[in-house]
Parts: sequence; structure tokens; C-alpha cells
Amino acid sequence: MPGGSDILMNIVTLLLAVLPLTAAGSALDGWLDAATGGDSLSPGMGVIEGGGMLRGDLWNLTVQGKYVVTDTTEITRKFLDEYSVIDVNFKVREGATIVNPDLVWIMDFNEKTPKMVLPDQGGMAFRHGYYRPGLGLETAFVENFRLNMRGLYWNLAAEHEDGSDLGWTGFMLDGRITWDSPWNTSFQAGAVTRKSAINKTGYAKTWNRYDVGVSLHPGGMPRNMYLTGGVTYSVYDGRDFLQRDIPDRLIARIRLMQMGVLPSVTAGTSFESVFDFDGNEIRMACTALEAGLIWKFMKKARVPSTAILSGKLTRSAIRTQTARLFTRVHVFRGLSVLAQARARISPTYVAGAGPYRKSYVAGPGLEYRFGNKIRIWGIIEHERTNLTGNENWWRIKSGLELYPGTVSF
Amino acid sequence: MTRYAEYLLPVVVVVVGLVLLAGCRGPVESTQLVVDTDSCLGCGECVEVCPYGAIEIIDGDAVIDPSLCHFCYRCVEQCPEGAIY
Repeated sequence: MPGGSDILMNIVTLLLAVLPLTAAGSALDGWLDAATGGDSLSPGMGVIEGGGMLRGDLWNLTVQGKYVVTDTTEITRKFLDEYSVIDVNFKVREGATIVNPDLVWIMDFNEKTPKMVLPDQGGMAFRHGYYRPGLGLETAFVENFRLNMRGLYWNLAAEHEDGSDLGWTGFMLDGRITWDSPWNTSFQAGAVTRKSAINKTGYAKTWNRYDVGVSLHPGGMPRNMYLTGGVTYSVYDGRDFLQRDIPDRLIARIRLMQMGVLPSVTAGTSFESVFDFDGNEIRMACTALEAGLIWKFMKKARVPSTAILSGKLTRSAIRTQTARLFTRVHVFRGLSVLAQARARISPTYVAGAGPYRKSYVAGPGLEYRFGNKIRIWGIIEHERTNLTGNENWWRIKSGLELYPGTVSF
Repeated sequence: MTRYAEYLLPVVVVVVGLVLLAGCRGPVESTQLVVDTDSCLGCGECVEVCPYGAIEIIDGDAVIDPSLCHFCYRCVEQCPEGAIY
């Protein structure tokens, strides 16, 4: 991408020059996750993710990288099928103020260059990646007031289908003030402005959002019960892709968790409801209900055993239903047997299969943990889903997670 | 009384949720999708399937640009956590 590699090289050079000076009295954490999998439809999926955090008393520097080769099936056609993400994030604290510059750089690989649909019938484009520098500021001041601000800038490397450069840039500024009151309640007020522009097609659109909200986190609930809730009202100033005004929106959420509802069992419930204010019309836009049970048993073993049963229902212009079961049962030393099952109804984009897709996935697996530093796992899944007819296929997935621990200088 | 209240509250939340779910058939036209930030893992699978460039991962959560989203629901279908609806 034009200029992108130069910018990254400059950052890396700067970091290499500065890190030895800052490393004294600091600590380094690193991690690596790798997962791969495949089936008859998509033989080569994989994700490698790694990173490190170097931290001192008043600062930390996090560098993360991710390389992804995605599922290449046509079940849900992927816009991105091979790409990498590099995120360099630096935070420095001075008193009650944190300054947080960061840079995200995404590169799209392979010959199947992502084909994008441009807004406002601007045609198609091929994306090669983008970089997104940002700057955040967080500070606290009198009477438990906090201020968060962040600015992000996008510069996409993309060419129009006619071969010319798109010149696609974006900008977002986000600001929020929060007051943590003495009554287990926080009040927030904030604003967001987002601008996108494509020089090639003349597209330029800006939308703004103004939020007021209150969140509750009462203490003194009965036995091991934790309740959080919140209501946010957002006023939008902008238009969607059909040039309609984006309606104002009220979102209410409540989340309830109780530990020890039965011995070693934690129960959780969350509920969300969304109302849209579209001119004189008020309508319930979305609701979602989620509930789950976590049972931990054989707690004295090297790896505690767990069973998780959860379900989620949502309604909006579309509906989704999900039920999941996951179990990990410790067997010997670091070895555990895994079992998982999932049933899901969701909308589908697959031609001829819609409007809803019912999928059932289940399978066993094994996991081995070497203390807290290495985890190796493998799972075999069978999926049955109704696309243009009921289809069945097997999938195998495996992974390695490595956390070598903290190194102090 | 407190003993009953600790069991009553989760039941009330679930019952109210089910009643509202049953009553919500959805708007005629969607206006925006919702991202449940408590469930979102920031894995980026929604970004991979969005051909409109409408989704970004910012601070570990999916963020949908309401001016670019075309309501194709590919992200809803793809999200492994069911966090978009």
C-alpha cells in the first residue's frame, strides 16, 4: 500500500531505538496463539496471533500481530480470506491522565483481492489494506468525573474496478464524560462524529451521535448476586445507505449474575431492549435474552472441570436462536476431555437456503495443559445445516496457546 | 422475604425478557444492527464477511457504521458468539 510500509518501518525503527532506553525497570509479557482446521469444504483455515507487552511503572507498549487464512467455503462468502493485522499501542500515564497513541495496519493478501461494494452505487473496488493511526486521552478530575477522548483516521489502499486509486479516507472523533456518583450510579454524556470520503466517486458522508446514559451497579445485593444495568439514549444526525435519517435510539440493558445459586453453580441472565424513535413513530427495534449456567466440579484437580449451558434469543428485523453446551472434564495430569454442542438459527445469505439457516454442531475433543504456560487442544466437529438441502460435514480443529510468563528487567 | 427476593429477581428478568421477545416481531425496516459488546470477542469474523467495509474492530469490539451498513445480515450469520442482531 502506498506509504504504509514506510510508516511501519519508521515505527519499528523508532521502537527499536527507544525500547533499550526504556526497558530498565520494566517487565515483558508475551503470548502466542495458533489455531488451524479444515474440512472437505474448507481445507485450510488458520489463525496465528502473537504479541507482547512491555510495561514500566507509568507506561506500557503493546505490539500485536495476527495472520488469518479464513474459511474459503461459499457458505458465507468471505470478503477477506487472507489478511494480517498489526496493532502497535502505547499508553503513558502522568498523574490521572493517560495518553494512548496507537496504529493499526491491515494488509490483504493473495490473488483473491477483496472486492468491495462502494456506497452510493459507486461500483466495485479492490482493497489491499489500510492503516489507522489513533490518539486517545483519558483523564480524571474533580468529584469522580472522567473524560475520555479518541480520534481515529483511516486511509484505505483500494483501487476502483477501473484501476484508478479510490482515495478513501475516514475520520472519527469520540468524546465522553462520566460521573461516578456516590449512589452506585454512573452518568455519561458523549458525542461521536464520523466522516467517510471517497475522492474517486465524490462520496462524502458525515454522521454524528450524541449520547446520554446512566448505568447502575448496586451493591449490597443478596447472596453473591451481582446486578448491572444501564440505559443510553442516542440522538443521531446522519443518513443511512438509502439516504434515510438514522433514527434516534434508546438501549436498555440489564445483567444479573449469581454465584452459588446451587453448590458450585453460577447463573447468569442478561436482557436488552432497543427502541427506535423515527419521527413520530416509536418502535421496539430489538430485544435479546441470554441465560447461562456454569458448573465447576472436581475443583481440586490440576485442571478444574467445567460444564457450561447457555442459550440466547434475539428478535429484530431478523431472529436468532442459539443453544450451547460445553464441557471440560479433567482426566489425568494436564489432560482433559472436551465436548461441545451448538444449535443455532440465524438468517442466511446463501442463495436458495433462506431466509433462515438451522445448524447443529457437535463433537468431542482433547486438551492438554502444561501448567499455565502451554495449552494444546484438538476438536472434531460434525455440522449439519440446512442450506439448499440438509448438508453434513466433518471438521477438525486444533490449536496451541503459549504464554511464557513475565520477564522482568 | 430477602430469601425469596434473591430467587425472584432472576425469574422476573427472564419472564420480562420472554414477554418482550414474544411481543417484538421486529420493525418493518431495520434501522441499525446491535452489537452486544459483552458477548463480542473482537475476533473479526464479521469484518471478513462485510463487503461494504461497514465494520471495524475498535478497542476489541465490533463497531458498525450505520451509514455504510446495508443490512445484508452476513455478519449476523457469521458471528460465532451471536453478538450481532
